Amino acid sequence: MKSLLFDYYMQIDYSVPVSKCNYTIKCIPQNTSRQKIENIKINLFPSSDYSIGTDGLGNSQIYGSNAEHTSFSFQISGEALTGIEMYEEKENESASMIFKHPYGLNKAGENIKKYYEKIASEVRSDDAYETSLSIMNKLHKDFSYKQLVTTTETTAEEAFSLGQGVCQDYAHIFISLLHLAKIPARYVTGLIIGEGASHAWVEILHNGYWYGLDPTNNTSVTTDHIKIGVGRDAKDCMINRGIMHGGGFHTQKITVKVEEIKK
Amino acid sequence: MENLELLEHTDTVNELLARYGVKFGIYKNNVFKEQLFPFDTIPRIIEKDEFDYLERGLKQRVVALNLFLKDIYSKKQIVKDGVVPEDFIFASSGYMVECEGVTPIKDIYSHISGIDLVKGKNGTWYILEDNLRVPSGASYPMIARGLCRRSSPDTFEDLKIEDNRNYAELLRRTMDNVNVGGHTVILTPGRFNAAYFEHSYLAEQTGAHLVNGSELTVKDDKLYFITADGKHERVGVVYRRISDEYLDPMNFNPESLIGIHHIYDVFKKGNVALLNAPGNGVADDKGIYYFVPKMIKYYLGEEPILSNAPTYLPFYDEDMTYVLEHFDDLVLKDVAEAGGYGVVFGNTMTKEQKKQFIELLKKEPRRFIAQEVIDFQDIDILEDGEKIPRKADLRAFVLMADEPLVWKSGLTRFSRNPDSFIVNSSQGGGFKDTWVLSQ
Repeated sequence: MKSLLFDYYMQIDYSVPVSKCNYTIKCIPQNTSRQKIENIKINLFPSSDYSIGTDGLGNSQIYGSNAEHTSFSFQISGEALTGIEMYEEKENESASMIFKHPYGLNKAGENIKKYYEKIASEVRSDDAYETSLSIMNKLHKDFSYKQLVTTTETTAEEAFSLGQGVCQDYAHIFISLLHLAKIPARYVTGLIIGEGASHAWVEILHNGYWYGLDPTNNTSVTTDHIKIGVGRDAKDCMINRGIMHGGGFHTQKITVKVEEIKK
Repeated sequence: MENLELLEHTDTVNELLARYGVKFGIYKNNVFKEQLFPFDTIPRIIEKDEFDYLERGLKQRVVALNLFLKDIYSKKQIVKDGVVPEDFIFASSGYMVECEGVTPIKDIYSHISGIDLVKGKNGTWYILEDNLRVPSGASYPMIARGLCRRSSPDTFEDLKIEDNRNYAELLRRTMDNVNVGGHTVILTPGRFNAAYFEHSYLAEQTGAHLVNGSELTVKDDKLYFITADGKHERVGVVYRRISDEYLDPMNFNPESLIGIHHIYDVFKKGNVALLNAPGNGVADDKGIYYFVPKMIKYYLGEEPILSNAPTYLPFYDEDMTYVLEHFDDLVLKDVAEAGGYGVVFGNTMTKEQKKQFIELLKKEPRRFIAQEVIDFQDIDILEDGEKIPRKADLRAFVLMADEPLVWKSGLTRFSRNPDSFIVNSSQGGGFKDTWVLSQ
């Protein structure tokens, strides 16, 4: 087990004032079997009354609206105790049905299908976890990490055809391949030890439990991972969704810090 | 009733309908065109006994569909029990993950259901389609009845017909039943919507406010109506005539300009009622239609009173075999399309088209259903003073208030093209009043 201190900060500055903005933020890590979250602090600027709710997938969200402003920011910090169990959670009665079918950005196209056919005989086993690890290994070899070649709208098929991308792309392609192997799989947003941006990985269903696998780093989820939310694809659990009137050009800055608490 | 005096007033009634602006908007090649919805004065007449039977069957069907929606967005027992394959739910475009775990007020999902039926030549009624999202059309027979009565009072003197102008009362009762406290509003996308006439007419008839998205706002998990002088007044129920995807840009399609930010979050907290609840598309999909009789047995333990048109799912191997063997006798429907689009008759395809279609069918069997072509009864329409037979269907309206209510009338739509079985108003058809006899 490990104790982690996390701090997520996002700031958006506008060149001209925004007259009104609505936001929904899904950036609150929750307790799972693998992690325990404490001392959550939420700061919003402009400071406004926000509501707290849960989305259809069980992710917690804060939402509200702001009147005129030229800068919007939020900060969410707290402590996470990770590595309590290996699995994230026990499958509830119906979730696997939702996460079995191609959807949105994770839909396989011709290239992914061909690739799966090629690797299928080597990766398939009776054990979903073993199969998933083998697919992840293959993907890690055949896809490489590169920033700024894809966007948040890039589909699994597009990224795969390009051969390069970031954690979101790794996750979408991995889910796409897992679905072809008939393994329920879902997208995960989260944080990882160090400094930088938010992270994304995948959870697979194995013997009634959801396990985290991080295809970008070719590893199962470790004590360095803090899970935030789940979705069928990245859009289901976008950390920040905002719609504003006005604002002109905007610049967005995200700072994420996760460090171990030495006791 | 062969020679109703009313028929002599066809022109008068249509002139009045035009004057009242009873129109239907259609988009053709991306251009919005408003056209009159042609009215034919010869009514569809349904005997009391026959309608009593329809009423029982319609109530049963809509009760089961509501239970299905509740089940799908919570326990999914019907899928776990293997009655409906999960592909037909979770891979369907009508399924909305945002609605998982959300309970609408009083568990009502489909407050206003438009169920399309046809009567076969053998006298049997068949259900063609369920519309559980934003079914339209009730206003047309309402207003037509009023104008017919005005043009030809004598016709209505001796006949014992159920008065259909009570639709507004039924609708109001349905809205009041789930109102959490506050104004009653009808939300319209605006005057460029196909059914704008209906939105304004129903608002007037029910005493609801007709509003567009910019007149509603969310604050502290409650919904408010912004009055002309800028005051905020609480809204308790919204009869929304905006489709799910455009209803709330924060929860559904972010590009929607006509929706209300966070309205779905307010709904989830139980602070406003939405008619109909979002997510109903999963139950009125053409693929799910096949399973409705099974749902009735599953949830109610009853035999279905009304039958579906005989339907095959190429998704099942044996049905695929049947479809390929009887291709020319069947009509094939794309489950994702509505409004008469995506419907093809096997016997009208060329050899090449057939070959291409069968390839597609084999590749995406889940996407299509096949149905026997029902030879439905013709109804006469008047054309240049002559009575000529045309195909017609019936859209019945079932409202779910404190109990299920079936409106004793309905929208009868007919095809003006003698060879066509497609009666949708978006395809240029006309409409008739539907008379239900009261004795």
